[in-house]
Amino acid sequence: MRLSYKWLSEYVDLNGITPEELAEKMTRAGLEVEGIEKQASGTKLVIGEILESDDIPDTHLHATKTKISENEILDIVCGAPNCRKGLKVIVALNGCELPGGTITTKPVRGYESNGMICSLSELGVDKKYQSEAQLAGIEELDEVAPIGESNVLEYLGLDDTILEVSLTPNRADCSAMWNMAKEVGAILHREVKWPEYEGKSDIGEKTNFKIVSKTEKCSGFIGKVVNHVVVKETPRWMKNYLNAAGINSINNVVDISNFVMLETGQPLHYYNLAKLPKGDITVVDDVEMTMVALDGEEFKIEKGDLVITTGQEATGIAGIMGGEESMIDETTTGIVIEAAHFDAVAVRKASLRMNLLTEAAQRFTKGIERDCMKKAVDRSVQLLSEYAEASGFEETIMIGNVKDEDKVVKETLSHANALLGTQFKMDEVEETLRWLDFNPVINGDEISCTIPSYRRDIERAADIDEEIIRLIGFESLQSSLPYMSATVGKLTQAQNLRRKTRDIMVGLGLNEIVTYTLISEDFKNESLLPCGNPIELAMPISEARKYIRNSLGNSVLECIAYNEDHQNMNNAVFEISKVYGEGIERERLAIALDGQLQEDKLHKYEIVGDFYTLKGIIMNWLERLGYNGSRIRIKENNTNQKYYHPYRSAELYLDNVFLGLFGEIHPTLLKKKGLKTVYYGELDIDPLLEISPARLKFNQLERYPSIERDLSFIVDKDVNANDIIVAFKKAGGKLVKNIDIFDIYQGKHVEDNKKSVALRITYQASDKTLKEEDILANHEKILDTLNKQFNAELRS
Amino acid sequence: MDKILEVQEAALEAIKQATDLESLNQIRIQYLGKKGSIQALMNEMKELPKEEKPIFGSKVNVCKQEVTSALEKRQEELEVSALSENLIKDKIDITLRESNLRLGTTHPLMMIQKEIEDLFIGMGYTIAEGPEVEEDYYNFELANIPKDHPARDMQDTFYIDPNTLLRTHTTAMQMRELEKAKGTTPIKLICPGKVYRRDDDDATHSHQFMQCEGLVVGENITLADLKGTLEHMANAMFGEGRTIRFRPSYFPFTEPSVEVDVSCPFCNGKGCSVCKGSGWIEILGAGMVHPHVLEMNGFDAEKCSGFAFGVGLERVAMLKYGIDDIRNFYINDQRFLKNFDRYD
Repeated sequence: MRLSYKWLSEYVDLNGITPEELAEKMTRAGLEVEGIEKQASGTKLVIGEILESDDIPDTHLHATKTKISENEILDIVCGAPNCRKGLKVIVALNGCELPGGTITTKPVRGYESNGMICSLSELGVDKKYQSEAQLAGIEELDEVAPIGESNVLEYLGLDDTILEVSLTPNRADCSAMWNMAKEVGAILHREVKWPEYEGKSDIGEKTNFKIVSKTEKCSGFIGKVVNHVVVKETPRWMKNYLNAAGINSINNVVDISNFVMLETGQPLHYYNLAKLPKGDITVVDDVEMTMVALDGEEFKIEKGDLVITTGQEATGIAGIMGGEESMIDETTTGIVIEAAHFDAVAVRKASLRMNLLTEAAQRFTKGIERDCMKKAVDRSVQLLSEYAEASGFEETIMIGNVKDEDKVVKETLSHANALLGTQFKMDEVEETLRWLDFNPVINGDEISCTIPSYRRDIERAADIDEEIIRLIGFESLQSSLPYMSATVGKLTQAQNLRRKTRDIMVGLGLNEIVTYTLISEDFKNESLLPCGNPIELAMPISEARKYIRNSLGNSVLECIAYNEDHQNMNNAVFEISKVYGEGIERERLAIALDGQLQEDKLHKYEIVGDFYTLKGIIMNWLERLGYNGSRIRIKENNTNQKYYHPYRSAELYLDNVFLGLFGEIHPTLLKKKGLKTVYYGELDIDPLLEISPARLKFNQLERYPSIERDLSFIVDKDVNANDIIVAFKKAGGKLVKNIDIFDIYQGKHVEDNKKSVALRITYQASDKTLKEEDILANHEKILDTLNKQFNAELRS
Repeated sequence: MDKILEVQEAALEAIKQATDLESLNQIRIQYLGKKGSIQALMNEMKELPKEEKPIFGSKVNVCKQEVTSALEKRQEELEVSALSENLIKDKIDITLRESNLRLGTTHPLMMIQKEIEDLFIGMGYTIAEGPEVEEDYYNFELANIPKDHPARDMQDTFYIDPNTLLRTHTTAMQMRELEKAKGTTPIKLICPGKVYRRDDDDATHSHQFMQCEGLVVGENITLADLKGTLEHMANAMFGEGRTIRFRPSYFPFTEPSVEVDVSCPFCNGKGCSVCKGSGWIEILGAGMVHPHVLEMNGFDAEKCSGFAFGVGLERVAMLKYGIDDIRNFYINDQRFLKNFDRYD
């Protein structure tokens, strides 16, 4: 909110406290001041009168003789269209500092010019609060403005400073000036004086006006008929305060309603009495109709909306905006005052739907005390009498609940100190609460507070504690660590697994990425590894963020595409993240390789990010976690051939539990994303929590040397490497320690549908040094298998 | 007799003069070979009278030993120098750049998360986890934000249906843990994770970001304990010597509530561009767990109390590493990621 320093000082003595000091103290007490802004500024200003104004030929300029005191007349050149003889004006003297710079004496077009005649904009006044005429030229002062007056800003009421205060939702009460004054008084320990308003509306003749509420959503209503008012110009001081608060002046009557709202916090509406010929107001919430509001726009009223009706016609959207029909204008001679208590939820819903976030609607939405209805009507009557010649009052009509219940909140000093960890004394606590008007009554350790109606946020002991600490000040708070029974801090199994996974991936040269959870419809449809039905947002923020992802695939590929677009080649990345489907939550590891994983042209080596590198990364990960290769099964990809290359991708199983897919992304999907070749794997992590890794155990070192035999043979191209190894191991028996394929060759000297396979068999016994004859039988079995099972042809 | 000495001296001189292994070998043959000078002396011994033989023999033996040992010594010397000459040929340019053995990088948000986790594990905290697709009940209701509470306006929410949403704060996890504890204390945990709000993405806003909240509930937990704990955290995260300052604030689930400022680590509180001259940087929100929250979760607010705090991981990372655009964390530009190629 915009808080006028000058206005505030009407209620609370700010003598000796600069706006900056006030801002600092308010911020420390929880009312954060985000900015301090002077309404206008300028040194060496004086009020003058233009005695002569002669046009300078062939220019828009005027050469003036301007009187600035009884015996001083200055030559000043002025370019404003409204510069004319007899006008009282603001003169900036030589050396005057304005927001735009310093005024210096210098000739203009050969004419002497000793200063400048100012517009309000030149003093730094916000354009928002100026009329068209004011914006178009120099400021025209009243005829009675005293020549020679040098306190120009004060004379104009522009000597104010605005504090931009950010109110937390619990302190909406401070958006009323009177309540803000109380708060500031409590912060500064200074007395606060509200105007003498009480009971001012308790006057009037008997009324025939009828006010009815047909809904619980309007639970209180105070109305008052004022038969005579005079609509005219608003007094300058009130205009200034309204402007300071960010509200434009309209006319005295409308301005009073706004002014009282700003003072008390109660949104008011004044109806044009002449436009309520039926003499009634009925609040309903079950009608459908349209209404043209004050701003000239037509609004659709739906069932559930709170509406003010007269006769059968709508004349206001309750708590949001009045109708155009009953608007106050220059022809208005009598009014009806409305101060009502409308339901926050109903007002919020309607204002959001109609996109009418008016000042009134925002106040109702944040919640208001009931007591301020009466405050506002009292104050209205007072100001209308004084500034709108109001008379012909009828008696006040009150329906429903117009009074807050007394609220007593108790706390003990010992509990407050225990919760805060402080050693406050009773007298300082009592004083603090007294400054807040909490009327503390002390009984031993107990403090009993009667809470003012506007402090709707104070409900229980902890709220009192907060008031104590924030007003005495957090500087008094010491530091300690919790004194309690010991607890064990540790990671869960899942957290450990995640950390290990991250370390392994980073160690293998992959960069960790974090991508967005929300994805587009396309991404959802082209899921690389779906999990359940995808979850759709009820109200997405954009097409790109519509679904909760059920696979990490597209987000990761998007990241690679971004990097490629920015000349960042050779991407090797991984992400660990949750994915979601209806009723399903899974944690996944995604790995993507694009280009080389390792590359060094100078030292001549590279590791290409291909299928086998990806497989190596995955196998390394699982083996490092304690899952021996023999427990892992790689199968043909029958799960997703649409987005994976059908012949270069695989399903991965651990102890027959499906973990996920990996391999080359299908060229069609890659093309769509503007990518060439990317290898990608996505695996569920959670199953690992259920699958026990092997216990880490020392294997006895082999004491005897092994024997190695190399075999090279030609088989059909489609024979799987793993099938050969499994068969050989079986045939070779216990002595076969290892079989490793060290070369695959296709090309010259090998038929098209064949391949040459070279492998090395390692024989090893744990109890003796093997001799040729020991392995002869085993090796023959292997050769036999080669022939029989694979129809292979041994190469020499 | 002089003859023996003559042979010996000649041999020793020759050995001394030998400059390579080949010539040394020639000398060995010349003196120690079967037809060598020393063998010739031995042969001469046969001619000598019987009584002179032992003396002559022992002298020749001495001579042989001297020569042999000189030969061995010289051989070693020559071998060493020959090796050095060979090694020189192996010379490489040690200033040539190293091999590109690329280690991967940890995402900066994960670095910060781990740092906070380890810090609190050390103080006996556990790390809670919970679903990102969350029930309104845990995200709002239990956190003292009933339907139509004005604070719901503070955080625009991604709803899935009226009862399900993407969690807007990690407070949802706190509520699950409180409920799970069924009124028993102590509770000491942190809960890091992703959260979501209906914000348009720009340099300082992100519809997805990460938080880490902490929660302690027990007997006699005080606001001063909160301050001490956060001071410890500020020092661990931003370097020793940090002080913190509380400013009153509002959160529905804490009372009293505070904003927490850390003395600026860049200027040591003197005022700089990072802290906008104030000497303080706003870093987190905190407070004493609202008694109503304790009660709703089955705790006796008369008997126990607690504190809670929450910090935005992006905010911490942006401050620590001088990152000026929050979108960097989610775009994952390789050049960005490679900034984090070492331990912090």
